[in-house]
Amino acid sequence: MTAQVEAITPGRYSHDVLLHDNDAQLVAGMKPFVELGLASGGQVLVHSTEARVTMLREVLGTHPRLTYGLDCELYHAPSSTLFAYQRVFEDSPEPLEMWATGTVPLGDTETEHAAWGRYESAVNEVLRPYAFHGLCSYDTQALPPHVIAAAKASHPHVTAGTERWMSHEYAEPAAFLVDPLAAVPGAPVGEPDVAVEVSCVAELPGVRRLLSRFALPDGVSRQAAEGLVAATHEALANALQHGGLPVRVELWAGPARLTCRVTDHGRGVPDLLAGYRHPRRGGSTGLWAARQLCENVFIGDLPGGGASVLLSTA
Amino acid sequence: MLIHRTEQERRAGVAAWVARGLEQGAKIVYVETAEQSSDRPLMEVLQDQSVPAEDAVASGQLEVLTPEEVACESRLEELVGRALAGGYPCFRVGGEVATAQTVMSRDDHVELERVVERLCHDWPMGALCQYTEAEVRTVLPTATALHRDGIRHPQLQTMRRPDGIALAGEVDLCDHLVLCSALIAATSSAAASAAGSVVVDLSRLEFLDVSGGRALLRGTAEYRRNGGQVRLRSPQPAVDRLLDLLAMDREPGFTVEEASA
Repeated sequence: MTAQVEAITPGRYSHDVLLHDNDAQLVAGMKPFVELGLASGGQVLVHSTEARVTMLREVLGTHPRLTYGLDCELYHAPSSTLFAYQRVFEDSPEPLEMWATGTVPLGDTETEHAAWGRYESAVNEVLRPYAFHGLCSYDTQALPPHVIAAAKASHPHVTAGTERWMSHEYAEPAAFLVDPLAAVPGAPVGEPDVAVEVSCVAELPGVRRLLSRFALPDGVSRQAAEGLVAATHEALANALQHGGLPVRVELWAGPARLTCRVTDHGRGVPDLLAGYRHPRRGGSTGLWAARQLCENVFIGDLPGGGASVLLSTA
Repeated sequence: MLIHRTEQERRAGVAAWVARGLEQGAKIVYVETAEQSSDRPLMEVLQDQSVPAEDAVASGQLEVLTPEEVACESRLEELVGRALAGGYPCFRVGGEVATAQTVMSRDDHVELERVVERLCHDWPMGALCQYTEAEVRTVLPTATALHRDGIRHPQLQTMRRPDGIALAGEVDLCDHLVLCSALIAATSSAAASAAGSVVVDLSRLEFLDVSGGRALLRGTAEYRRNGGQVRLRSPQPAVDRLLDLLAMDREPGFTVEEASA
């Protein structure tokens, strides 16, 4: 296979995956990226674990526009990280160009791997409008094959430092999210603890109260539970306004997890990526808020028409 | 104030209002035109919504009257006075705004609302004015301005304060227009212009959604355009979280502040 070399274009979005076996390859991949970023006049962020940051700082040096960050501070949870990046671009008084490189933390469990995998894909939707350049490094020695496969599917380009080519396995976010690689969870097995049908906005407060009464399983923080109820409210309000009536709301409580589902059978195909772009750029403010109030929000379509929004604290 | 988009919403709201009044032992006068009485009479609505009211009608606690019967000031005041003297602890009057205006001129209706408002101020009395959502944009600002002391909606109360307005309850898609209108009224006053800033006390606001955030923006847009400052004070944690998400403090003319000194 001949590698087509394509340079990163300053001023336009790019999102590359760097596959490496060892630190030398990691540095060989990051160094040109950082140098290109600084040469373009942009802000450069290098983030990783404390140990790796120490190592990289020695190799890459310092610069007024180069910042080193720690994953434990910057990469708490996938959705909040994603929208934090979006906010930096939206809040910037002047056009911002940012080059960010590092190891996406990925977490320790299968669930966490999947969530960060979906984060990587969602970056292509959320940050596409901005002059954002991402270079995400994946250690092929340390990570299981399905995580590497997901990385190839969630990054439009693959790089090894001097060479860069389009990823043949790349899938646009809407396609990635319905692929098994994304491991989007389904509704919990078993009967829901709450199931109501809603037809008018006057019922919204009552539904919130009902959900709140059940939103108390052990192992779920109060903030996460409140956020879930608020996010479900936004999804429900959205469905009442744009979907088919009646709208069905279900809740499953525990263990250690709270899940809601909002379903309507309206006509038209729902946008699986609704609520990712900033409202200023068009689209639903309610769903955009929902994705930030609750870590895990998944929009799906239904056979026969309609949409289902699944919201979950974990 | 009951703002409804559909007949179903109106019926649910009216029935809840009557039910609460019956619970309180209030004297309830409901105003219906002949057209309403044949098309959607209150008694049918109550039966439909499972509010038992036959006894209340028999005893005179619940009375349905025509607009002509309450149209003049002294008549309404007389009704209120008689009810309170007769042992009812409080008085409630309700009706649909648009249909009332089919039998009286707009000016007469505004005058009636003024009377009701004065009586509500002086007596233990509450009023339910029903507006369709379509009417709201044209009628509501006037109506809100008429409700001098504030608005009592099933879900949201607004109270005027010397330095602005205080909110209690919840704001979401079913009452955000009430908030918008109350903010327009609060920021249009001479006091607000003179002071250059208006405080919106959020300490008793339990919930705010995206449509409520939009209402905060729209209801104060003109005031802020003219240089007015809007200070959102003491939001509860969940409300604060939403204000932060909507980057409200980055909107021109807004500040978010904790409890005042």
